Amino acid sequence: MIDMREYYDMVKKYNVDVIYSGPLWADGIEGIGGTIRKRMEFDQLPLSSTQAVFSIFVEQMNNMLMHSADTKLIGENSGRMIPPSKGVFILGSKDKVYFVQSGNVMRNGSVDTIKSQIDYLNTLDKPGLRKYYKEQIKLENANKESDGAGIGLIEIARRATSKIQYSFEPYSEGLTFFTMYVTIGDGEGARK
Amino acid sequence: MSFHLEKQKTGSTPYVLIDEAKGYIRFEGESFHENVMGFYKDVNDWLDNYLKSDFDILTFDCNMDYFNSSTAKLLLNMLLNMDEHATEKNKVVVNWITTEDNDIIIECGEDFEEEMTSLEFNLVISK
Repeated sequence: MIDMREYYDMVKKYNVDVIYSGPLWADGIEGIGGTIRKRMEFDQLPLSSTQAVFSIFVEQMNNMLMHSADTKLIGENSGRMIPPSKGVFILGSKDKVYFVQSGNVMRNGSVDTIKSQIDYLNTLDKPGLRKYYKEQIKLENANKESDGAGIGLIEIARRATSKIQYSFEPYSEGLTFFTMYVTIGDGEGARK
Repeated sequence: MSFHLEKQKTGSTPYVLIDEAKGYIRFEGESFHENVMGFYKDVNDWLDNYLKSDFDILTFDCNMDYFNSSTAKLLLNMLLNMDEHATEKNKVVVNWITTEDNDIIIECGEDFEEEMTSLEFNLVISK
């Protein structure tokens, strides 16, 4: 049996408000998203802060749905097998500074692309990110093959107050565990 | 017979109305479903055909509270398609409707407006 007291204490220690772990579904995003918004309502923040947190959540979920390698086919929907991606998502807060952290297993082949994208985004300021976002949308519209994952990362960088922090840890043969961390808000302890 | 489509909003998709008789499209709500392309496919199919016809007017009221980056990509694509077919005879009017506290939607409207050359783009911001 899992020691729930230990789990509870850990959640408390790290100021975790919402934690989700398990299979990810497109429809599931609505449910968790609703919980996140409810949580944000308590702090009576301006719409822009709530939207920033919500948007980072949505883009991280979309990215995980697309790129998580930890999938196995379960169930069937309209004759189509559903591959649920797995991942972990955490929203936490302290003194009205929020942090959003996500983790998922990905194929080694995607690591270099994502790493170099994040490193580049971290060199840009807010106006630079806004400009880059539009450029990339236009580029991807010209190239219909693209799935828009890159744009999701830019959107995360635009809405975050901090730089995007990340780590890639070896997971198993051919697979890597990817963690991403950003903060939102200007309160004390906010990392720029 | 002119085309008519109405979809009610869900937790992650907006209310959608196409009224071909009036040359009118409306989106209202939020858009962040994972399968954005699938959701808007019938709208895009209709739009392609309509823009190729000798229409008098197309009015697009885009009243979104939030949309994800895949939707942003799709919306810009739709707008560029409209802009390409807008002329004095084939008038296209886009009303980008939002509230003054919705920074994300306002910024996006400003950025998209810069890309438009022929259609009329109105940023409609209410209190």
